[in-house]
Amino acid sequence: MESSDSTLNLSLSEAWDSATKALLSPSSLPLSDSLSVLRAHGVECYLGGFLLEALQMRLSESVVPEFWSGLKLPENDVDERGRAGVLVSAFQTLLDRLDPLLRESLFGSAQAPVSAPVSLSDRAHTVIRALLLSRPCPELEERVLEFYSRTFSVYMRQEGGEGGEGPEEGADGQEGALCAGCAVPTDQCWCREALEQLQRLSHILCKLQLLEWVSSKAVTQILHKLIEQRMERHCRGEYERSFLMDFQEVNDWLEQVLGWLRKVFSSEADRGLSMGAGSPLGASSVLKQWRCHMHQFFCRIYVNMRIEELFSIIRDFPESKPAIEDLKFCLERTNQRQQLLTSLKTAFESRLLHPGVHTSDILTVYISAIKALRELDPSMVILQVACQPIRKYLRTREDTVRQIVAGLTGDAEGCTDLASELSRGDPVTLELQESDEEGTDPEEWTPDPTDAVPDKSGPKRRSSDIISLLVSIYGSKDIFIDEYRAVLADRLLHQLNYSTAREIRNVELLKLRFGESHMHYCEVMLKDMADSRRINGNVREEESRLNKEEQPSLPLSAIILSSEFWPTLKEEKLELPPVVNRAMEEYTHRYEKLKAMRTLSWKPHLGSVTLDVELEDRTITNLTVSPIHAAIILHFQDKSEWSLEELSAQLGAPRDLVHRKLALWQQQGVLREEAGGRYSVMETGSSREKLERGVMLIDSDEERDSNTTTQSEQREEKLQLFWAYIQAMLTNLDSMTLERIHSMLRMFVATGPVVTEMDVEELEAFLQRKVREHQLIGSAGVYRLPKSK
Amino acid sequence: MKVKIRQWNGVASWLWVANDENCGICRMPFNGCCPDCKVPGDDCPLVWGQCSHCFHMHCILKWLNSQQVQQQCPMCRQEWKFKE
Repeated sequence: MESSDSTLNLSLSEAWDSATKALLSPSSLPLSDSLSVLRAHGVECYLGGFLLEALQMRLSESVVPEFWSGLKLPENDVDERGRAGVLVSAFQTLLDRLDPLLRESLFGSAQAPVSAPVSLSDRAHTVIRALLLSRPCPELEERVLEFYSRTFSVYMRQEGGEGGEGPEEGADGQEGALCAGCAVPTDQCWCREALEQLQRLSHILCKLQLLEWVSSKAVTQILHKLIEQRMERHCRGEYERSFLMDFQEVNDWLEQVLGWLRKVFSSEADRGLSMGAGSPLGASSVLKQWRCHMHQFFCRIYVNMRIEELFSIIRDFPESKPAIEDLKFCLERTNQRQQLLTSLKTAFESRLLHPGVHTSDILTVYISAIKALRELDPSMVILQVACQPIRKYLRTREDTVRQIVAGLTGDAEGCTDLASELSRGDPVTLELQESDEEGTDPEEWTPDPTDAVPDKSGPKRRSSDIISLLVSIYGSKDIFIDEYRAVLADRLLHQLNYSTAREIRNVELLKLRFGESHMHYCEVMLKDMADSRRINGNVREEESRLNKEEQPSLPLSAIILSSEFWPTLKEEKLELPPVVNRAMEEYTHRYEKLKAMRTLSWKPHLGSVTLDVELEDRTITNLTVSPIHAAIILHFQDKSEWSLEELSAQLGAPRDLVHRKLALWQQQGVLREEAGGRYSVMETGSSREKLERGVMLIDSDEERDSNTTTQSEQREEKLQLFWAYIQAMLTNLDSMTLERIHSMLRMFVATGPVVTEMDVEELEAFLQRKVREHQLIGSAGVYRLPKSK
Repeated sequence: MKVKIRQWNGVASWLWVANDENCGICRMPFNGCCPDCKVPGDDCPLVWGQCSHCFHMHCILKWLNSQQVQQQCPMCRQEWKFKE
């Protein structure tokens, strides 16, 4: 034991000396001999640290500076080809310098100390990386990127064969002088060289284990750009084709790209193979990784682009369904819901929710959004969150309800969707939405997405039904039903023939939506129409039995309303000519005979009149006008010249109204306005003059006036009712806060058939108005009546 | 000038010829209907008593049915007799 130690000792120290000398001197002396001696003594592991230090020294002193200066060597005037050559040769020099060291058997075979987790060669490579790439070098990155881009385009050019899907396509063909791959005149083409250089570089980098560090970034950038360009070209603004399918279908394109990647990483792959299955970076796994990356890039880029375009996609919805489906697929793979929500909200706000957009257009987009977003996100969270601003905004528009109701009844020009949606309405599914609270299997429960707005309603309540969503803008159905009643009343009163088939259908459909009880009033209205027709029939029949001289002076028929069930009709004063009054009296008389203990109260200003006007040289036939128009012209029958005052007195109607109504007859060329506000009949108006009249744009008031009081008028009435309560309360309680008044009103004010919630803001506005009118004093948050009262 | 009216479509609302607005029993307007009815008019008629008070027919019948001893007008407590 002892003797053998001493004999070896001698050679061990010798060996140690030679080894350290070799390591310290820049020239590479053969180490292997002394190393084997050291190894035999089991002390070579102590050399490891030494060796690493030596490597580090040599690197920082000579190799790294040499590399950088090699890279910078050529001045800027060198062309791309030259730069590529320099890049490769710089790495080649690096390899040449380091290779002898790395090739030392010490790295290859040295057993790392048991305690060290990484092998010596790994540590050596780490040192190389650290020293070489310790500071970010834009120049290197730039070069590498340029080199890879070039080789990529060359590769794609070669593989693509038939003209290429490469990013720089389009250069071939006409511009035959340039090589499509390397973008230099064909005679100087260095495509082949580039590919060879690629192979070499990959090989070198792989040997140095720098491949991933040097090239990943460039490759990522290239792929990113590539996909972006491809997407820009193929699917920006194109929503009617599924690009996703396209992307996956054009597999050969993908394969081509992967083929290039294989070239880039080939050496690494080989190494991986040679290192056996245990290697974390086997050939296929590297490629698989890149394939995953590409897919991820693709999804993210796609989502980014679609998020930008989402507003347009929504606007074109039924046509843009493929785009929505693609987006849905990709969105599930990227974490960009929040981005989507924010961007969509902003888009809505800037493009839709401003005074320049017509309410019906907003509604149309909202409906599309509902349809599109429920496709995109079945949990409805995106819909709920993104459309919140729309709903909020629509609430501020006065005509929203009217537009929705018009849409529902199919009157609106823009949104026919609503009418079809209404008729599509499936009561069973509606019922389900209302009632199944615990109907579903607990196993199928899925939690809300994280961006869901926490509210008590939960996912069950998050409806996707378009009509329910629209109706819920205001929170209550009543306001819609009231509006619908008003619309229905208008339509019925403008009917000439009592035909109600369409209205009956609508009411039935709405009944499915809103429930029987809410539509009750409308049903009575429709029944009134049917009853009126029957009563008219009866009256006609009775009249026909009369003698010639007892025949009514004027063919009168009536729509007889159940006043309690119709919306409040506008009260307007109008004195009809005696002949009409007489006819109405007769009609009332017959009605009273028909229905005991009941009578009629006529609304002279409502209805319609069909008449002929016979003038000396012409006849206007079958003109349908309003009663006031008819009354005016009937007066002119008795006396051919009237002043505005006289007419107004005769009709019992305000002057400006009469003035407006006269315009129709002026336009018809029947009446003429003369100086001093007098109107006279034009018995012999030449057609030429009539034409001129026609051209003269008189405000003819031809738009169909609504016969029902508007929403705001009704509100006003209600507020007046409240005012009485408020006065009474303040008389008793002296002073009250706004909230107090509001809660008191809610408690005490009985609500009629027209139930409308009044919110605090509205009440405040009303009270403020009263303050301005000096009917109320508001100070320090409390209201009181003026002292003088 | 001669105006020939071909057709005059008027609008009127019907109402009961009664001395009050609302039914004394259900407090609903006469021109509406009693709480049990959906449709006013023929389907929910008024009746008059000899005391000249009138009610929705359904209302007064319900009232009379609930009276055990004597049938009185709920308004004036006179004996209820339908006016012929």
